[in-house]
Amino acid sequence: MRKFVLLTAALGCLASLSACGANSDVTLPDGKLDECELRFSWWGGDDRHEATLKAIELWNTKHPEIKIIPEYGGWDGWTEKIGTQLSGGTEPDIMQINYDWLISFSPDGRGFYDLGLLSDTIDLSVYDDEVLSFGRVDGILNGITVSLSGRGLFYNSETYKKFGASYPETWSELIALGEKFGREDVYPIDLDIQSGGTAWYLAVVYVQQQTGRQFITLDGRLGFTEDDIKTALDFYKELEDNHVIRTIDTRTDEDGTAALYQSPEFIDGRIAGVLEWGSSVGKYEMTLSEGILEAGPMLSDDSGNNTGWMIKPSLLYAVSRNTKHPDEAAAFLEFMLNDTEAAKLLGTTRGIPASHTSEEALEKSGMLTGLAQENDSLLEQIDTMTISPYMELAQMKEYYNTAIEKVSYNEAETGEAAHEMYTSITEYLERIAK
Amino acid sequence: MKKKYRNPTGVGKYTGLLLISPFLAGVLLFTVYPFVTSFLLGLTDYDGIREPRFAGLGNYIRMLGSSGFLGAAGVTLKYTAVLVPLKLIFSLLTAMLLNIELKGIGVYRTIFYIPTILGSNLAVVIMWQFLFTSNGFADQLLSLAGIAPVGWYSDTAHAMGIIVLLRLWEFGSTMIIFLNALRDVPREYYDAAKVDGCGRVRSFFVITLPLLRNVIFLNLVLQVIAAIQEFNAPYMITGGGPMKGTYTLGMLIYDEMFKYHNAGYANAVSWVMFVMIAAIVALLFRLTGRHREEI
Repeated sequence: MRKFVLLTAALGCLASLSACGANSDVTLPDGKLDECELRFSWWGGDDRHEATLKAIELWNTKHPEIKIIPEYGGWDGWTEKIGTQLSGGTEPDIMQINYDWLISFSPDGRGFYDLGLLSDTIDLSVYDDEVLSFGRVDGILNGITVSLSGRGLFYNSETYKKFGASYPETWSELIALGEKFGREDVYPIDLDIQSGGTAWYLAVVYVQQQTGRQFITLDGRLGFTEDDIKTALDFYKELEDNHVIRTIDTRTDEDGTAALYQSPEFIDGRIAGVLEWGSSVGKYEMTLSEGILEAGPMLSDDSGNNTGWMIKPSLLYAVSRNTKHPDEAAAFLEFMLNDTEAAKLLGTTRGIPASHTSEEALEKSGMLTGLAQENDSLLEQIDTMTISPYMELAQMKEYYNTAIEKVSYNEAETGEAAHEMYTSITEYLERIAK
Repeated sequence: MKKKYRNPTGVGKYTGLLLISPFLAGVLLFTVYPFVTSFLLGLTDYDGIREPRFAGLGNYIRMLGSSGFLGAAGVTLKYTAVLVPLKLIFSLLTAMLLNIELKGIGVYRTIFYIPTILGSNLAVVIMWQFLFTSNGFADQLLSLAGIAPVGWYSDTAHAMGIIVLLRLWEFGSTMIIFLNALRDVPREYYDAAKVDGCGRVRSFFVITLPLLRNVIFLNLVLQVIAAIQEFNAPYMITGGGPMKGTYTLGMLIYDEMFKYHNAGYANAVSWVMFVMIAAIVALLFRLTGRHREEI
């Protein structure tokens, strides 16, 4: 009897295991809008939450038969939450997704709904082909880019005014500010190794500008040499040593695990600058008085070479492959992406819209202002690189952070840390290569 | 002669089975099923999305050469070795204090149990962060004693100390078990010892400790199991840092499962954690020379 029970349990487990990840039938669109409820999830700061809830309210007024249930929160832990839902098939019908999720959750293009099937409802003609291509996996349209964004530097104008300093234009000017601000224990900028991972990002920009080589190529190969990685780590260490940024030791001690925009040091102006996505800078802006945070130039080398800065689809919208209401989900997406009234409510809380319709609507109503727009304009003026989605994978971030932490805590020489990072990244990229 | 079975109440042959079936279903569904599934997943390359492919012992072999796994295992064992003895000693001493018959002692017992009810929830974590932040309450206390501020989160030993302190603070359950056992020790033993000229300290070692032997062992086993499975406190307070100094096996399993989408590997690590717990408990049984029946 005992053996029988154990055997049955094991067989049951095997049977259910074989069902893990199995593709169930996809509901095809029928061109009709039926009464239903749809779950829509996104992450972001309060500015994005407030604007999105207003847009949903407008949708619910226009389409009371299709009720949208919002699910939202901060970025920390969001990937884990959606990953669990996707794994169990309980994900929301419509999701705001991150660029690297296309690789993580839909490596063969079948992890999300094929939005090409919904092109009768979603107007794809208002997007540039290149922008649409960012959301394709193996030729299947898995996501629609909401906006393109890149990280830029934003400064606390009051602190800079207090020191009589202008925003740096070159790396050497930035480093020189460290000494000036350091006399009063103020930092011209700060970078983090937490979920933002801005420390490695800035170091990559620095090296890409010097070498012209892309850190990770779009097809997932390591473009940097071991020496390039060492140069990036040396640059990071130089920033710490010159009081341009806080050491990890100081930051951890002062803020624990709190995000930079929530830290007292940023709010009181002791941290006078941040590196942030134009599409997400709102959360920093909101914690300071209006107009205090200003966008600064994209840093260049002393010869004026300002290449190496990067852009990517800041966010994409995707539809669950398990949704039972693809037509209704498509209608809501069309509203969120291309409706002019919705565009005005959403503003630039997700960056400058990639949809030409929404962008025009914002332009006409004079809403294309603010930090997101300024950052966008600055990036448009320079020769940017497109970030590889592989660069943003959580495991990759772990490798960057490990190396930076070791260098920061003086646990390893930059050469040693670079070798370790180079080996880990090469092996990992080979492992996940298709 | 074999006595013939009688069924005076008239219940059917399967009534007993029927009565325990809800429990049985629960065990099968929520214990046996995940247990076996986890083992099977540990033998695959499952990423949580695509269909799992059989990978044999690949995950276990990878684990042996992984500095991440070895580091997390080391941190977990160190944490267990520091926390468990401290918690047992602290709980026992507090239980002895609360065993003194005083007016209103029940109120004190309740107060001492409150931290356990609170657990390491968000409010407690925020309080902890406030206490140990730079120039926070803990630093201010130190400055009163003329001691320089400490980098609580930036130093591995201090960060570990914060977590140990949080768990130490939740000593209520261990203390209650000790308290109950202490109340079962006959008072006459102490009276007789006193007559024979035995002091309090000696009474503790010759009467209290030997009589609490089984309960100490029970608490030891329970605390070892809980400590090896630690996740909440480091996850919420230190994030596993600095330099992975508080990164436990529980955190590694979580990260591999949910951040890096290595469900197969995460399940393999959880099986290793299970075997580790079983081995340590078996070792404790052997070292103390006792059998399960004694507990």
